[in-house]
Amino acid sequence: MDSTEIIEVRDFLAAHHPFDLLPAQALAEIARQVEISYVRKGHVVMKPGDEVRHLFVVRSGAAETRDPHGQLLARLDEGEVFGIRALLRGGTAVNQSTAIEDSLLFLLPRETFERLRRDQPPFAYFCAAFDGGRLADSADAVLGNKNLDLLSKRVDDLLVRGPVTIPDGATVREAAQAMRSEKVSCVMVTRDGRLAGILTDRDLRNRVVAENLPTGVPVTAVMTADPMSVEASAIAFDAMLLMGRHNIHHLPVMDKGAVRGCLTATTLINSQTASPLYLARKIHGCDSARELAEAVARVPDMVHQLADAGATSRSIGHIVSTLTDAVTHRLIRLAEARLGPPPIPYAWLAAGSQARQEQTALSDQDNCLILHDSYDEAGHGAYFRSFAQFVNAGLDICGYVYCPGEMMAQTDQWRQPLKVWKDYFTKWIDQPQPKALMLSCIFFDLRLVDGDAALFDELHDLVLEKSRKNGIFLAHMASNAMTHQPPIGFFRNFVLARGGEHAHTMDLKHNGVVPIIDLARVYALSAGLAAVNTHDRLLAAAEAKAISQDGARDLIDALEFISMTRLRHQARMIRDGRKPDNFLEPGILSSFERTHLKNAFTVVKTLQAAMAAAYHLSRF
Amino acid sequence: MARGWFGSDDVRRWWLSARCAPGALKDYYRVDTPTEDTPWTRAEFAAIDLETTGLDPDVDDIVSIGLVPIVGGRVVLSGALRRLVRPTRPVGERAAAVHGLLDDVLAAAAPLEEVMPEVLAALTGRLPVAHHAKVEREFLTRACRRLYGRPLEVPYLDTMDLERRLLGRSDTPLAEGMLRLDACRSRRGLPRYRPHDALTDALACAELFLVQATMLGGAKPAQLRDLLN
Repeated sequence: MDSTEIIEVRDFLAAHHPFDLLPAQALAEIARQVEISYVRKGHVVMKPGDEVRHLFVVRSGAAETRDPHGQLLARLDEGEVFGIRALLRGGTAVNQSTAIEDSLLFLLPRETFERLRRDQPPFAYFCAAFDGGRLADSADAVLGNKNLDLLSKRVDDLLVRGPVTIPDGATVREAAQAMRSEKVSCVMVTRDGRLAGILTDRDLRNRVVAENLPTGVPVTAVMTADPMSVEASAIAFDAMLLMGRHNIHHLPVMDKGAVRGCLTATTLINSQTASPLYLARKIHGCDSARELAEAVARVPDMVHQLADAGATSRSIGHIVSTLTDAVTHRLIRLAEARLGPPPIPYAWLAAGSQARQEQTALSDQDNCLILHDSYDEAGHGAYFRSFAQFVNAGLDICGYVYCPGEMMAQTDQWRQPLKVWKDYFTKWIDQPQPKALMLSCIFFDLRLVDGDAALFDELHDLVLEKSRKNGIFLAHMASNAMTHQPPIGFFRNFVLARGGEHAHTMDLKHNGVVPIIDLARVYALSAGLAAVNTHDRLLAAAEAKAISQDGARDLIDALEFISMTRLRHQARMIRDGRKPDNFLEPGILSSFERTHLKNAFTVVKTLQAAMAAAYHLSRF
Repeated sequence: MARGWFGSDDVRRWWLSARCAPGALKDYYRVDTPTEDTPWTRAEFAAIDLETTGLDPDVDDIVSIGLVPIVGGRVVLSGALRRLVRPTRPVGERAAAVHGLLDDVLAAAAPLEEVMPEVLAALTGRLPVAHHAKVEREFLTRACRRLYGRPLEVPYLDTMDLERRLLGRSDTPLAEGMLRLDACRSRRGLPRYRPHDALTDALACAELFLVQATMLGGAKPAQLRDLLN
């Protein structure tokens, strides 16, 4: 055993990203390629234009990297690498790297670096993120679990077979024979190729056998005519909710008017975590705010489970927000049952994170009410005041606590006829005041939850039409989008902000997801896009060329990574019996998480800078 | 051709080389070595650590040798060497407890005469560096005498001496253990390593030497003469 394994070097590399991605054999080999150098504090390891022949790893001490303008880019602690960018650009340094403490550095020869990039895909993906490559590639290479996320699937992803159909001239016997030979529990009846009805096992039992009907009767006599259906492109979870709400077990799936298949409760349940379905069902059966509160009290657990099961934060946001919608629906029905039918049409809108379908916990409520322009204070005022108070109070009882900023339907200002709402937005857009805009920002993320869609559509169309054309308004919104900035990265147990200040915790909300949400809002408003969800906004913005494809994808990946980090952080706090918050202590991050968070921050900073330049924002 | 090292020592090396029988040690002595005014960053070194069965070179055996080259001011791990040596008699439990090498493992190792040429080749043209170099110097000299009939004569750099120098020439005696390798490393901000593997200890010594040599230099790197006495 004359093993010349350099144990200490190998083990050190194995404990740090990206070397933790390498198999043991490769690690042992690269440990033997290492050269070790000691540099004093202040020593310039590389400066722009220098030829770089090594990848550097901080073994002890610390270093920092600045761009040619002296702007701090990164502070590098034990186990962190630098020089990747230079190596990727033909071995010429782009930035300056300086030891900020007496440091021991590991140097990995360029040839070894190249070989690792060639032979070790995870390592190559890691490097790609430094050269405008995609963040998600590297994350997936490591996690490799995209398919775990069944919740983001579309309905047609879940279809296991084509449709079983019979024409409407068939008899019940023929229908039953078709079901037997195809081994299915329901058959869809078509008329001229279009869906006319559905017949299930249960119908045969209840409507044929129990009623002692002859099997020669036409199927049209016993089928459910014009059944509810769902589009093939719908999100599976939405289909699930529809089935839960109406207590149906078979849901025809349509594609441009043609029958594509049939979704059954079994397919859905087999493919989904059961608890969201269970919760949705329960919510629709609740008769009081107290019962609703009991049902949604399980949301934090559900979020935790979904995250563990590999659901993306996007799916989780969709599910949680949809459950909030369900609670709102239920409270509205209860309010109408108590107060009587509404005297005039209204539209109940969600604002903020619920509107964007990005809620990941029971958060503050943000909502408002558009009333029909026939509104008359004397005749209708009392009804809608009580109505809004009932729903807002119910949400509060459920844990969607009253909005501290009073952005709620029970606030008189935010419960107004359509024409007043139009005036609000006209003023916000045509005469933008920075402060007023900051406050009303939340109303630029709106979604109809209940009531008259036409009221919402009219307002929404106006907003999109006006904002798209108003450069000054957009510049103000863009400037708002610079309010919150991501940190530069981490240094030891600190968060490193622009200018080099240290903080003990990072605000994953305001310095993490909010800057991305703000950017997406500006892209959407500038291109007149109806999408409200940040992910959807970014995709639509790329489509409309308001942002580059790469930029949109990078932001989406960054949002997903930061959001997941936030979810995991909150799940951890819940597990420890603490009240979940957004404040992350960098000390608990793995080397992998640190690297990817830092890459995500870089993406956000880059696109913030691009937006600032596009709108000529001098302060940035 | 300028002979290296230091005046009369040069002559001595030449004399030794001439007297050596052809073989590893003769080859070793044939190679030129750097002069005293060479900046340390342009010289070559080999940090070396021996694990032995005891402290008496006349009685005890070398059981393992770790060596790490230092070239151009950097530790170069591709030249690292770790060799086990078959002892002439059983190691005994006490020594085994220290370096963790058991008799049956060592019984399968190569004898010193097979290992030594490789070690001499790795030392050729390089100044040996060791922590408390007395042990390495005595054992290697003794080994060469036994195998080649001549001693291994070369100046050693001793990281323990360098540390003592860095700590200043105060009259207060140094407390017990202050000059141990791990204590010196920790004082110089170097990471903690698991002790008593010859290669790890040689690496630990090499890194400590980088720090010490850097600290003993000013605007320009220290010259060999600054490090040798």
